[in-house]
Amino acid sequence: MTKWTTIAKHEYTYNVRRKEFIFLTLGMPLFIMVAMGLPVLLAGSSISHAEYRIGYVDKTGLFEPGNFTKYTDEELAKKNLLDNKITHFFVIPANYTATGKITIFAGKKDLMGRTVESQIRNFLIDNLLKRENKDVVERVKTPINSEYVTLNEKGETSDGGLSDFIVSVAFAVFFMLSIFTSSNFLLQGVVEEKENRVMEILLSSVSYRELLIGKIFGLGAVGLTQILAWLVIGLGILTSNPVVFAMLLDRMHVSIPLLLFAFSYFMLGYIVFASIMAGLGAVATTSREGQQMAGIFSLIGVIPMMFLQFILTNPGAPLTKILSYFPLTSPITMIMRLSTAEVQYYEVVLSTMILAVSAIVIIELSVKVFRASLLMYGKKPTLKEVIRYLSES
Amino acid sequence: MGNTVEVSNVSKSFNGQFVVRDISFDIAKGEVFGLIGPNGAGKTTIIRMLLDILRPDSGGLSILGSGLTDDIKDRIGYLPEERGLYQRLTVMDTLAYLGALKNKQSKRRTLELLETMGMLSHKDKKISELSKGMAQKIQLIAAISHDPEFIILDEPFSGLDPVNMKLVNDLILELGKRGKTILISTHMMDQVERMCDRIFMIHKGNGVLYGSVGEIKSRFGKNTILLEFDGELKDIKGVKKINHSGNYAELLLESGADTQDVLKTIASKVRVSKFELSAPSLNEIFIQVVEEA
Repeated sequence: MTKWTTIAKHEYTYNVRRKEFIFLTLGMPLFIMVAMGLPVLLAGSSISHAEYRIGYVDKTGLFEPGNFTKYTDEELAKKNLLDNKITHFFVIPANYTATGKITIFAGKKDLMGRTVESQIRNFLIDNLLKRENKDVVERVKTPINSEYVTLNEKGETSDGGLSDFIVSVAFAVFFMLSIFTSSNFLLQGVVEEKENRVMEILLSSVSYRELLIGKIFGLGAVGLTQILAWLVIGLGILTSNPVVFAMLLDRMHVSIPLLLFAFSYFMLGYIVFASIMAGLGAVATTSREGQQMAGIFSLIGVIPMMFLQFILTNPGAPLTKILSYFPLTSPITMIMRLSTAEVQYYEVVLSTMILAVSAIVIIELSVKVFRASLLMYGKKPTLKEVIRYLSES
Repeated sequence: MGNTVEVSNVSKSFNGQFVVRDISFDIAKGEVFGLIGPNGAGKTTIIRMLLDILRPDSGGLSILGSGLTDDIKDRIGYLPEERGLYQRLTVMDTLAYLGALKNKQSKRRTLELLETMGMLSHKDKKISELSKGMAQKIQLIAAISHDPEFIILDEPFSGLDPVNMKLVNDLILELGKRGKTILISTHMMDQVERMCDRIFMIHKGNGVLYGSVGEIKSRFGKNTILLEFDGELKDIKGVKKINHSGNYAELLLESGADTQDVLKTIASKVRVSKFELSAPSLNEIFIQVVEEA
């Protein structure tokens, strides 16, 4: 085992065992589940789907009851609603066919109102088209069951489309989350090392470069572990519902090249950000100070998300080009573009190369700053000093 | 093989101020070498330059016959002055990690050292549960558990109680006997006097004394009286300075003073139970040099 892998392994096991790490990793999904589940639970306790008992008052004379209760008198319907005999009723006015306007009365505030509406909608369509053939009625209810096929120059078809777009959005969110969480670990890890003064012992065994690279990979892996744990827990919850799982399987046709690109952009982009964070950790005297500085870089990383619409619709614009090549923005920009439109081959190669070279250069620069500022305990180097460190050979 | 360490004309400045100015010394293989000087003299800076943690502005350094490669680093043990360990790791995990970074992990040797230092029963405790002195002993073990050829100890005795001081002292002597080259940086002169073969004294970044302890002492001449007595001792003719410590005193003679006359004067004032003519202690030499500088 080389020395930097020993350091990476140590950083990983040391930090994964932190109470804060375990708490945040398991606590976050729990928190989100509670935050999202609570309204559903509350709504569920008021009325559950199966319990809808819907009535209607028809002033056109066109509609037959089916599963619904027909009322001729609006006052009786109101009384039944208040007595809880029905959960909802709606009034179809005489001019309904011209305006489409109906009034729905509900007994309780209902957070799941849309389900009621869709039941009413199906009831209306069934009645309006009662002379049509059953298949046609079904088509009116769900006219599209789409599948995308993209035709490229070679005449071959590749499917994807929406799935690819979902993957690219997921990639962007995932990437940003990873950067935000890992930057925390990296900053903390480097700043803490300065505080606990183990640094000098380590430096009598390894070089600054080995130490920093070990930290970048070890602490970076900690951040990835957290994100992966969240992903697994999230997918686990999603797929625990067989209907959703089947739907996901059915809808997902992600192209393999996109996944490969996503992986390489992710790792390279991640290394770039992680190296910057480690460098900042070396300069910062407290982790709070480091986080403020890190925020600037993280914000730059989010820029492609803000210009998403523009990037996708203007592939040739200078802004799109800049965002596609600039190492802090290229991972998200390129994956977005790759998933939605044809991107020139050279663009992918060029942006990947810029990203890879930047990763190496930034690691080297961070090592320099690290070396220059590490032993200046408690003293923050000025910007001028940092620039001098960077320019020293 | 020649010298373990060679330092030639090394200078280092921070923000335009010299911390170390044009110093040169060698440490021979198998020697116990004292790097001494008051606080802030530049001792730690020299050590950091030896280990390539800092780079000198000018001058040359060599350790174990070459530049500082990874392989060379594995043959060096270092106890830094800034003491710190990972608080949440256990003693054994700490030593295993630091040992792994030296590529020479020996669990058996680590356990033996823990035994020697009276720390074996604490091996599964977290560092945060240890006292300061205990943590310091763990650091010392970490510095030598990979059986290095060259050991650098920066203020190894600071913060230790007398019992632990003796333990550390014995351990260093034992390592010296086994032929290890040892560099001790300290301002505790009595320790250096007893342990070191040769010393290099640095003051305000300048080298002021360099040589074997005996040779340096004889250079300052037999101008000191060690006295054990009862009574009040003051204003003795021919004595420049008196360092009291209870019933003992170290008397520095003026140049040209006759020791027999001094003895007579002393005998007339106090009851003398021991009178010895000797070279000044390293501590006194140290103070003299610092005051003259």
